[in-house]
Amino acid sequence: MLTKSYIALCGKLKGEGVAEAQGALAGVRVLDLTDERGIYGAKLLADLGADVVRIEPPDGDALRARGPHIDDRADAESSLYYAFFGSNRRSFVADIEQVHAQNQVRDLAAKCDVLLLCDGRYASALVAEMEHRQEQVVVQCSSFGTGGPWAPYAAPDLVAGALAGQVATTGDERTTPLKTFGELNFMVSGAYVGIAALAGLYYQRESGLGQSVEVPVHECIASCIEQVFMFYWYENTLMREEGQVLPRRGPTHWSDAYTVMNGVDGSIMITPTPDFDAQLAWLIEEDAHGDLIDPKYEEPENLRERIVATMATLSDWVANKSVEPLFYEAQERHIPYGWVQPIERVGDNPQLLARDWFVEHQVGEQTVRSSGAPYQFSETPWQLNDHALAGQDTDAILSEIGWSQNNE
Amino acid sequence: MSKRPLDGLKILDFTHVVAGPFATRILGDLGADVIKINCAARALTSNAPEHPFYIMWNRNKRALSLNMATDQGRRLGKALALQADVVIDNFSVGVLDRWGVGYEDTRTDNPGVIYVQMSGMGDSGPWSKFVTYAPTIHAISGLTSLTGVPGREDVGIGYSYNDHQAGLHGAFAVLAALERRRRSGRGQRIDISQFEVGVNFSGPSLMDLFVNGRAAKATGNKLPYDQAAPHNVYRCASKRGEGLVNERWIAIACMQESHWQALKQQMDNPAWADAEDFSSMAKRYANSEALDAQINAWTVDQDEYELMARLQAAGVPAGVVQNGIDLVEQDPELTYRDFCHRIEDTHPDIGQTWCDRLPLHFDRTPCDEYQRVRALGEDNEDVLRDWLGMSEEEISALDQETLT
Repeated sequence: MLTKSYIALCGKLKGEGVAEAQGALAGVRVLDLTDERGIYGAKLLADLGADVVRIEPPDGDALRARGPHIDDRADAESSLYYAFFGSNRRSFVADIEQVHAQNQVRDLAAKCDVLLLCDGRYASALVAEMEHRQEQVVVQCSSFGTGGPWAPYAAPDLVAGALAGQVATTGDERTTPLKTFGELNFMVSGAYVGIAALAGLYYQRESGLGQSVEVPVHECIASCIEQVFMFYWYENTLMREEGQVLPRRGPTHWSDAYTVMNGVDGSIMITPTPDFDAQLAWLIEEDAHGDLIDPKYEEPENLRERIVATMATLSDWVANKSVEPLFYEAQERHIPYGWVQPIERVGDNPQLLARDWFVEHQVGEQTVRSSGAPYQFSETPWQLNDHALAGQDTDAILSEIGWSQNNE
Repeated sequence: MSKRPLDGLKILDFTHVVAGPFATRILGDLGADVIKINCAARALTSNAPEHPFYIMWNRNKRALSLNMATDQGRRLGKALALQADVVIDNFSVGVLDRWGVGYEDTRTDNPGVIYVQMSGMGDSGPWSKFVTYAPTIHAISGLTSLTGVPGREDVGIGYSYNDHQAGLHGAFAVLAALERRRRSGRGQRIDISQFEVGVNFSGPSLMDLFVNGRAAKATGNKLPYDQAAPHNVYRCASKRGEGLVNERWIAIACMQESHWQALKQQMDNPAWADAEDFSSMAKRYANSEALDAQINAWTVDQDEYELMARLQAAGVPAGVVQNGIDLVEQDPELTYRDFCHRIEDTHPDIGQTWCDRLPLHFDRTPCDEYQRVRALGEDNEDVLRDWLGMSEEEISALDQETLT
């Protein structure tokens, strides 16, 4: 776990040039005008040390209302959603109804290397319409991009996931089609926003030229739905009875060789891959192999039949098992079972604890334990600073861009 | 060829399955020269270049067949690593080290190299040797138990969400390390635990657990923490026949009062919608089961695309639950972008191939080039010449076993 002194050191260093203790993106200046669709990308940049300034209206960022909240309070400083997605930002409050504030925002934007915009988000149009320096990278995230027939459509995560193919894949015959938990679709578009920013920045460093990058959420989600296009395009090669579309069928993988089964005390993801023979040997040890030793299953042309028979045998076998010891024994045998963990177990996971993965930081008055880094950089560590209150950095930022009380 | 953002960047790609190949696919789409290492012994099932699954993740890469089980193969691998900007793999921890092409073997002579290890559990900890695929990660990270309906933990996500996200995070991490290298001149090693990528997505819920002691559960199509109702999928008329795949659904998400008022208007202001139970967002949320039943009764006879157009025109967020056929054949946005792209260069063994385009549209350096997936070893000579300066004679003199 990062110590508070280390976090404090990183906080002090922020904005003071490049130092070894800083993240990989120290020195990169980013203006964050994203909403739910792109905010995860701004977080990725900020958590690796970029100086990311988020502009808020006088009554606070709308996303500060998103739950969960500390103690279920309704105030803007207690949003744990915002503490996660708005991490490592500096907060700048501006009333863009005022001309001087518009000019402040433009001056701030002009000093940034990267501008992250979501259409419709507060102050985004103001910055989108200003003249950009040719060195700047301008990332414009929207639900459908510009120019297409659905460009004006509104698409919260559920609608975005429905139109882009995610919802049709999830759920089973006992449920409706389902969205993924929370707003996982927007975490895909957010990750692409981060990639767009850094790819544009890479080219800018090479050529001196910035550019605009359009990031349509719809295409982002559609690019991350694994088997969907494969079944459509390669139906004749796959030769599956389902044809071009797999029906929703819970957690069962398109190959049929992975699914979640229920044991006596919980659920576990079961697969005989990658070594069917190792799985068979285990079943033989326990005299639970049924007819799987039939030589016909060794023939490559019978692979699908073998998968179906193996999964049926495994289902009966698992039904009488306790899932925790089954998971650990499978992993001892290098078989990739996965114990279905409720979140309270994830919070107490021995692997995460051993890697000091969780990190503490301040959210308002409260010390909050938070999730850690999605990657570990050997030289430039990911870090989590204390969470910014609305407007807490406004004066400092005004000073940095050459504004004072006198020239308002 | 037009300029792309990462033109000139050299990536040595030892990845397989989805997560790693998706990371390098993105980098290849962005213009990097990605050298995909494969060999005959490993080119089986979904790792075979003619398998549709392999085709999906390995366009815009050059194919080098390199048998790392041979001394000469490992020497060539080391020579290539010394020329690379980025070396990336998603083997279990330690495989590249055993081949002598790990980070410690390379960085002295190539101090700018960036190594990305995308293992299942990361390079340390009691689970570091665990074997994982995306369904494993979904299960142990909480994604399976959280995606579904109340009372069940066996629904989960119907595709390898985390593999894609690990790929996105891998590509992002490479780009971040390149930015740092530009200033410091030094590369570094990046340890990506696909498990930690997956757990990260539950960040707010983990904080809720730690702060409030509240354990998140699956909520179906409801938002887990914020009140929005109606917020669900609703049946529409099916003209396609029986079975799950032919069901037609529309998602409707009223995130604010104005959405609800507009929806009421579109429903011709039925009396039930004015009931006290539905008179505020909080009440609609509390009574969402009854609300959903009423809306479902209204949508069930309607055409899903016509209804979507009508609701969107009225200001109600709504979208057809599209499947693969819809995306390719009916989606005007994807058609407008040529998102489902037919690759011009027909594969000599496979025939026609397709790809879903990179969803990033750069106005100065558009990423519009899509090279078909390559056969095993199809680019051996070009790669060895371009990266190592080897002559035709030197390549011919290599043991046959090395390049198979």
